[in-house]
Amino acid sequence: MRSSYLVALAGLAAGCTGIIGGDPSVTLTDAQAAEVNTTGLRRLTRVEMDQSIRDVLGDGTRRSARLLAPEPTDPYDNDYRLQIASGALIESIETLAVELSDAAMMDPVQRAALLPCNPTGPNDAACLRAFVQSLGRKMFRRPLADDEVERFMVFQPFSVEANDFDYGAKLVIRAMVQEPAFLYRVELGNPTTQTGVFKLTSYELAARMSYFLVGSTPPDWLLDEAANGGLDTKDGVTSAARRLIGTPNAHDQIERYHALWLGYHRLPHALDLTTSMQAESDALVNRVVFGTNGDYFDLFTATDSYLDARLAGHYGVTGFTGGTGFAWTQYGATPRKGLLSHGSVLSQGVKFADSSPTQRGLFIRNRLLCGEIGPPPPGVNADAEPVGTTSPCKKSRYQVHASGGCANCHNQVDPIGFGLERFDREGRYRTTDDGLPQCAIDGQGEVFGSPAGNLTFNGPDGLADALIASGAFERCVVTQVFRFREGRREGADDVPGILARTEEFKGKQRNFQELLVDMVSDEAFGFRRDEEVP
Amino acid sequence: MGTRLSRRHLLRGLGGIGIGLPLMEIMLDGKAFAQSSPNPPKRYMVFFDGQSLGGDDDPIHNQFVPNTIGRNYDLKTALVPLGALKDDVSVISNLKIPWAGENGGSVPAGGRRDAFHVNTISPLLSGMRDPGGTRCDGPTSDQLVANAIAGSTAFPTLTYRVQADWYLSVSAPYGREAISYKRDTSNRVVVVPPQTSPRQAWNALFSNFTPMGVDPATAARIDRDLRARKSVLDLVRGDTERLVVKLGAADKIRLQRHLDELRDLERRVATIAPPQTSVCMPPADPGADPSVGSPQGNDGTNNTYMQNLGYSNEQQRALLFVDLIHLAMVCDLTRVATLQLTMFQSHLNMFSLTQQATDCHELGHHGIPGSTTAAVSGGIAWHVQHFARMIQKLKDTPEGNGNMLDNSALVFLTEGGHGFDPETNEQNSAHSSENMAVLLAGRAGGLQPGQHVRTNQLHPANVLVTAMKAVGVQTDTLGEVTGDIPQLRMQ
Repeated sequence: MRSSYLVALAGLAAGCTGIIGGDPSVTLTDAQAAEVNTTGLRRLTRVEMDQSIRDVLGDGTRRSARLLAPEPTDPYDNDYRLQIASGALIESIETLAVELSDAAMMDPVQRAALLPCNPTGPNDAACLRAFVQSLGRKMFRRPLADDEVERFMVFQPFSVEANDFDYGAKLVIRAMVQEPAFLYRVELGNPTTQTGVFKLTSYELAARMSYFLVGSTPPDWLLDEAANGGLDTKDGVTSAARRLIGTPNAHDQIERYHALWLGYHRLPHALDLTTSMQAESDALVNRVVFGTNGDYFDLFTATDSYLDARLAGHYGVTGFTGGTGFAWTQYGATPRKGLLSHGSVLSQGVKFADSSPTQRGLFIRNRLLCGEIGPPPPGVNADAEPVGTTSPCKKSRYQVHASGGCANCHNQVDPIGFGLERFDREGRYRTTDDGLPQCAIDGQGEVFGSPAGNLTFNGPDGLADALIASGAFERCVVTQVFRFREGRREGADDVPGILARTEEFKGKQRNFQELLVDMVSDEAFGFRRDEEVP
Repeated sequence: MGTRLSRRHLLRGLGGIGIGLPLMEIMLDGKAFAQSSPNPPKRYMVFFDGQSLGGDDDPIHNQFVPNTIGRNYDLKTALVPLGALKDDVSVISNLKIPWAGENGGSVPAGGRRDAFHVNTISPLLSGMRDPGGTRCDGPTSDQLVANAIAGSTAFPTLTYRVQADWYLSVSAPYGREAISYKRDTSNRVVVVPPQTSPRQAWNALFSNFTPMGVDPATAARIDRDLRARKSVLDLVRGDTERLVVKLGAADKIRLQRHLDELRDLERRVATIAPPQTSVCMPPADPGADPSVGSPQGNDGTNNTYMQNLGYSNEQQRALLFVDLIHLAMVCDLTRVATLQLTMFQSHLNMFSLTQQATDCHELGHHGIPGSTTAAVSGGIAWHVQHFARMIQKLKDTPEGNGNMLDNSALVFLTEGGHGFDPETNEQNSAHSSENMAVLLAGRAGGLQPGQHVRTNQLHPANVLVTAMKAVGVQTDTLGEVTGDIPQLRMQ
């Protein structure tokens, strides 16, 4: 599908650090260069930082989540174009570094795992140097150059002064946590024959793969692969990607991706209901992607769900047999199917203390069909609830959206939302408007203007079928994964690649694992294009 | 006290142990500090409330502006927390930010687009017309004041926010979360994201203080720890400098900001904390921050609001931030601070604060049945309460022949006013920048508080210019807005 890269490595061992400003070492044709995506300097998100710290320092207490301000989520948390290195961030990272270094050396198990040698005393410079090298490789996701290592040895006299080897070792950790080589995914690469396009080093590629597929720093074996040329071929990258996908961290990452995509990483409910809803959706994602590993759209068509007694009661599902735990339970006669029927997803798009057909329609349109519905035009007060003139019923009140200048946009969203109206803002089934028994809800919805025409549906089960039938769904699935992988929205330059990938996804029976593998084994993924100054 | 203890250690003052030790003569020389300096520094503060003054469809514009013009004004609901402090606070009313619809459709100087939310950010805070995005198009008053009066203080400005989170899971705040903008080292106007953690703020302000009267071994340890901290920052800053030059143009800008902030941190750590006095007493460690609450959905039910979703104990956070800012001023660690109590269009759950079961933004939009302006005023009063607490603390802090309030100017801003909404052509709307009002407290530079001044539709930035001049900024403008309000000073 994608053109293959004939990469000339002009005398450079693969994986070595690029020589910036030197002769281009890699020849790229214009066509090849056109496939290379623009990437900026990405700072690790709080989750990526915490997971990297867990995997490198053995500290799983998620201190970043506590100490650093939350990222804006729109819907992903990793949009590097929104990241700002504020003074508040810098001082918070220093606190994080102090906490981490103190804790690491205080815990004997953590300490033993981190130190590559048994220090003979505060004067043991060789052991400190070995520690800098071994920890540096994990923290910076590449070996440290000799001059870099030597700079960390400035802490050795502090060990002597404190008469404590660990004192200097703590300073090493403190510094490394604050180093841009840890905080950012630095991709210098090697220059190519195309201006502004660089070939990533093997270590940089390993980090890219790892943060995308497992949301954390590359494991040791992947750094070893990078060191010994294992990522120089497409086959090598493919097999490394499959190995990453086989680790538990990949499950967490893919669950988290879906939670961000569909907005249920945080839910506006009491903790127990939130937890049950998230567990339900995580379980289905996990089963479809990692269990059956078949058609990804099973995620939207599953006829059973992973419920506890609370959710079964909440949904009105009978036949729950899980006792005090969770159990896969058939929806039976209740009109539900797949992820869109989950309380987690039906909790999206609430406004004016009720489900909002407009907000839900926007949510479906933007997140699942990748539309771009803009904000309301001047002259509209979106903070005011539509007030009906004749009837208090919601369908009647929202008629004001269906005419005049409002209709252009609202017809793309409100009819979708009305198709979900039989489910309230917590995903419970209902047949009348809240508090208005005279207002029967018909649950009829319509997706206007899909590539397959206008599609009518009723309920989340019907919506799932309509989305699948729309012909636009695969492309949106690929687009969303692209946004998450790139840490930004797509630009016009990215669309051809997304379209090609969509065809590939369809051709591979919509297998999600294969999509993930293809998205990192693509040769263009091993390159980057410098961003232009905004 | 051991004789080998260096004088520098003594001068660094009292640490977080909070024990008042006898003030020694030797500690009174050196840097200026609050109690005995002959020329105390001026201080400038901006408090922000992300609300309008009145609610939708309510014929009453606000319960904020007194009926009485001049002195001895009456206190309405929103200003009740001022109490006796009203003699230290002026109310400036009938202010207005102009909009595009009045200007043939193009945004006028110091003005906004007709749509309301986020479009007052730039004119209100920087005096610059709304640039068409959710940001300021010029530096904000706090940054300009800091440029003029920060001197060698460790923190040119403190930028804090009380509301801990945006509290919506379906969107991002996009500019509603900050009220300070500065020029960076390449002269671009950039946002200054606020610190939202009181614990971090405490750490940054007071971790450099060393306990007085410790034994020599402890003093040596403290000195070593400080040198180690500097050594770590020196290494990181050097490595960052080495990396910046290797990056492409866009990435260079990103990492340069990081580098600038690192240098700033390094400079602060290098600043020896000022001597302890009977008033500059660093507070005890406030402990872990209150946990950050879950989002409250777009607009949940009363039930949801009572569950404390959308709330992270902002009451406690506000108390802590006011304490920290006050002490930082007392110790002359800073002379300028902004405290954003709530975000623009705030989705903070008000239930725990005002027993109003809705979010802050919905107060103005019928979130509570009945008078929307009454509902809004209840919310404003919570904000004013913390403004009043700061005023009281300054007033209670002796300085020179008077108190710190005599050398301070504090401004209280809100997102909007009440009245005509050019977007919808409706009257009596919360989406309005008519009938705005600003509070100005303190007596710096001859300010004469305690009056209600009704202007003829001056701009809120005219109040900011007055306050900036009062603390020593040589200017008659903020952004595109020119002129101060002479009545607010002694004639």
